[in-house]
Amino acid sequence: MIIGEVVGRLWASRQAETLGGQKLLLVRPIAVKGARRVVETPRLVVAVDGLDAGPGDRVIVAHGTRVRDITVGERVADKDVVVAIVDDLELG
Amino acid sequence: MILGRVVGEVWATRKDGRLARAKLLVVRPHAFYEPAFATGHLVATDDVDAGVGDDVVVCLGQPARVSAGGENMPVDAAVLGVVDRVELDRRALDKPGPGPGIRRPLEVPFP
Repeated sequence: MIIGEVVGRLWASRQAETLGGQKLLLVRPIAVKGARRVVETPRLVVAVDGLDAGPGDRVIVAHGTRVRDITVGERVADKDVVVAIVDDLELG
Repeated sequence: MILGRVVGEVWATRKDGRLARAKLLVVRPHAFYEPAFATGHLVATDDVDAGVGDDVVVCLGQPARVSAGGENMPVDAAVLGVVDRVELDRRALDKPGPGPGIRRPLEVPFP
């Protein structure tokens, strides 16, 4: 899993059936640089949200088909899923 | 499996119910073969009561789920052991060029 910050939500009017009805979030993974230093990465992940996270939330994103299968269902075409909303992150 | 150091802990109240009893650690990999994201960290469940500062081995994927409590755990990384000692061979590390099938050499930040 990785920790990231929700930076937005994504809508698409034309989308594959397998994405239908899924809430999609744009998550920017954080990078841990040395002791206690957290910076943003230039990457964005589109993750399926089953927990009702919103912009500004820090979330834990798990990756993989199995995680996808047991959280949001086998028919969803996205392998990144939000599995937790972070309350507190303590480094070092 | 990968080798990393526990650099922190993360807490979450709103989470998948199956994670209710999971302790979640932030681990900085010492070397990570083909990382999915250049994040410098990953979050792993902890089965061995590792603490901040410990060097640990982290298992990824399906075996991590099994270790974390079953195949229906929504996790992809688990700490499986606390490392007492690591031995690296300097001659092997300094051998030029990546091995066959490896796209780029690993950087192992050990003294």
